[in-house]
Amino acid sequence: MKSTGFFRELARIVGEEGVLWRPEDLMLYEYDALSSVRQPDAVVFPRTTEQVVQIVKVATRHNQPVVARGAGTGLSGGSVATEGGVVLGFSRMKQILEIDLENQRARVQPGVVNLDLTLAVSDDGYYFAPDPSSQKACTIGGNVAENSGGPHTLVYGVTTNHVLALEVVLPDGEVIHTGAEHWDRPGYDLTGLFVGSEGTLGIITEVTVRLSRKPEAVKTLLAIYDRIVDATRTVAAITARGITPAALEMMDGFTLRAVEEATHAGYPMDCAAVLLIELEGLKEAVEEHADEVEAVCRENQAREVRRAKSAEERDLLWKGRKNAFGAIGRISPNYYVQDGVIPRTRLPEMLEFIGSIEKKYGLRIGNIFHAGDGNLHPLIMYDSRDSEQSARVLEAAKEIMGRCVEMGGSITGEHGVGREKINLMPLIFSDDDLEMMRRIKSLFNASGRLNPGKLLPTGKMCGELRVQAGAGGVL
Amino acid sequence: MTLAVESWRTELASLVGESRLVTEPEACAALAADGKVPNCVVYPPTAKQVAAVLRYAAEHDLAIIPCRNGTKLSTGNPPRRYDLALSLKDLNHVWHYEPADLTISVEPGMKLGDFQHFVGRDRLWLPLDPRGGVRASIGGIIAANAAGPLRQGFGGPRDMVLGLKIATTDGKIVKTGGRVVKNVAGYDLIKLLIGSYGTLGVIVEANFKLYPKPAERVTFTVRVGTLAIARELRRSILSSPLDALRLVLLDSTAIVLTRGTAKANEQKDAEVWVEVGGSRRVIERCERDLGQLGRGIGAPLGRLEVREAEAAWDHISNLSAWLEGVYPDVIVLKAALPIAAGEEFLSHAQQQAEGERIPAASFAQVGVGIVHFCLLQEKLIPGLEGLISRTRKAAVDLGGTLLIEHCPTQLKGRLDVWGTPGDDFEAMHKMKSAWDPKGILVPGRFVGGL
Repeated sequence: MKSTGFFRELARIVGEEGVLWRPEDLMLYEYDALSSVRQPDAVVFPRTTEQVVQIVKVATRHNQPVVARGAGTGLSGGSVATEGGVVLGFSRMKQILEIDLENQRARVQPGVVNLDLTLAVSDDGYYFAPDPSSQKACTIGGNVAENSGGPHTLVYGVTTNHVLALEVVLPDGEVIHTGAEHWDRPGYDLTGLFVGSEGTLGIITEVTVRLSRKPEAVKTLLAIYDRIVDATRTVAAITARGITPAALEMMDGFTLRAVEEATHAGYPMDCAAVLLIELEGLKEAVEEHADEVEAVCRENQAREVRRAKSAEERDLLWKGRKNAFGAIGRISPNYYVQDGVIPRTRLPEMLEFIGSIEKKYGLRIGNIFHAGDGNLHPLIMYDSRDSEQSARVLEAAKEIMGRCVEMGGSITGEHGVGREKINLMPLIFSDDDLEMMRRIKSLFNASGRLNPGKLLPTGKMCGELRVQAGAGGVL
Repeated sequence: MTLAVESWRTELASLVGESRLVTEPEACAALAADGKVPNCVVYPPTAKQVAAVLRYAAEHDLAIIPCRNGTKLSTGNPPRRYDLALSLKDLNHVWHYEPADLTISVEPGMKLGDFQHFVGRDRLWLPLDPRGGVRASIGGIIAANAAGPLRQGFGGPRDMVLGLKIATTDGKIVKTGGRVVKNVAGYDLIKLLIGSYGTLGVIVEANFKLYPKPAERVTFTVRVGTLAIARELRRSILSSPLDALRLVLLDSTAIVLTRGTAKANEQKDAEVWVEVGGSRRVIERCERDLGQLGRGIGAPLGRLEVREAEAAWDHISNLSAWLEGVYPDVIVLKAALPIAAGEEFLSHAQQQAEGERIPAASFAQVGVGIVHFCLLQEKLIPGLEGLISRTRKAAVDLGGTLLIEHCPTQLKGRLDVWGTPGDDFEAMHKMKSAWDPKGILVPGRFVGGL
């Protein structure tokens, strides 16, 4: 518990109603979508950049950590205060400051909800391309910090490909502006460095994003398979035809049944896997590609290929996909989701491997992938009250991740390193690589008070995987 | 520690091999930067040797400029010093190539033309048409963030590089990113290196995402009598469902230059060129829509022959090199602007040039806000600084920046080629010190003297 003087100083900046410090109020802020760690000492809700500057300065005087938080939907523990201190909640900085359609951009505060930005420009035929599954809740600031992805990043790229400029408050309270209203400002691309830096280099207080024009035509296909391997083979076969779908998702039969029971999206209950394939663009191109994709699916033994006949049908299919994690929550007390990435041609092999891990550890693993870009989301189901089972989950997760790395992949495609994968970093980066990242971190965050315990393992660490079991039993 | 030239040359030769250190005046002169000629050129054949050379140079305070063909050596302020050219010519391997995954990993010395040829067998390409064209090297393209008109359809190096290996001045090789198309592990140092003009480290390997080649590509042209009409057309193309691969506005002089001649043009109108790609049906659809947009402004739609179009786009990529041959003191200004400001900037720039009676040509990527404005002069005339400063001010007032991409060295002492840095310069300065504490990499050439 910090001194009341500390809280009073914070309240002086944002008003009494802008600070939380009672333990019962702080409970909500002790976790994100991954895990519960510990409570922060205070949560502060600034309305302006200037208030952020003042808060950062007070935290510095009291030597307190500062952790930025959007909606808390993160999946790697990025926004939890592992060492206590001040959580900067951005729920009051949610203004869309400027929409400029001719220049295809918008300037927003970090607390703006991802989908709200799209809704604001939708009638004019534009949207914000990155679409994480949590887009109804997650914030642009959080997307920038984590460099979030989503199903449609396959063709449009992740958050970093859509951010033009940032306003950043550095740990010493200095405010800088990186990037520009256009792409080619001379100098180092600090915008590109800050995107995905998980709140460890500075606090983002304003974001200029690129808006995209909505495509003329969209076609959504659902290919249904009796063998999972046929679905995975189809993925590379589509690419080999020179077609890049806007989205290419895979769900296995187990996950599908859970999703169908929860959302009644119209998925078949008796298949081994489905691919959800979306094509976007000019009407003519989409029609041609849809026919070709359907042919590829059938060549790869799809039992049936359905096409969404209306926008409602399409929305329903996507609702099923985007609510999949929630659906799993209905059938298993706990689940652990990873987001390793592999080259997409290795999917069949990976699926087989995950099947063998299921058997080896006696666990149920649901598979739901951004298959087009090789981004896996194996969902390992367990009951946290069973400590022996929880330990097996860790072992299984470790083997899957190790295999991703062996295949030339990555430990995270879109969820971020956060706290969760901090000890996996040595699997893909050498000491020299990590040392360079530390050097860069220390340029901005020398004291380490900005989001401590995230992204970079501290000091020397062996390549051993250590995923810690938290107090709540969640990983 | 300062060493006599002969002794460091001998020691460097022992690091890379006798035959890989060249002191012939011709080889050195070919890689001169703003009249400064290096003492020697080294050609390390491996990434490790690049790192060893950097380490040696840092220890002995030798200034280095990394390069390949020198297609972008004219960009930058004059180097504060320049001892040694680090040629990446022999780093020319393809390490991994997975056509089915659409990924490739190559060394920086590979020329874009060779690269495209290599992946073209599988009907793939890297959709970049940077400055220097097919002669541009992979490393140079990344270091200079070089994207040409294809940026309209595909973005730039920033959207295509998946991972890098970088040799640093402490003799190490650090990795950032990876070989998969989606990856958020660790800080994104790829972005830092892209466009850093060799001032942070030397790229020794680059992983790219590849793209399927469109079945066909066709370039359509529309004549536009005034900038106001050009603006109207740009707006209607960008808000239409068409996905242009390239979209440029060329003034009448530029149109002639794309044919590789400098003959005067009897046509006074500018043209908008739109390249589209896809199946025949898709192209027919584009033709119909563009025809309609053209009729809206009272201009018929033209279509370039395939060969003619290819040659013209090549000329646009090779612009500065080619223009330099004809106009020895050519100045190429590159404005980066909010999209909506392109035509207004052009109008300012054209007025300035006309006021000084300097012939000019403009190549504007109007869909992405990049304008190349070339002052075609055979020898330097007085009053140019004023003209450039006023043109720069116009760009800045419109929310953009102006880079003097190519100009005679005499002018550089009087004008900063990059323009004034912003409030993030201090952070950039720190970044430079973290990577290159001794300041041996491309000293003084980059933004704010970095």
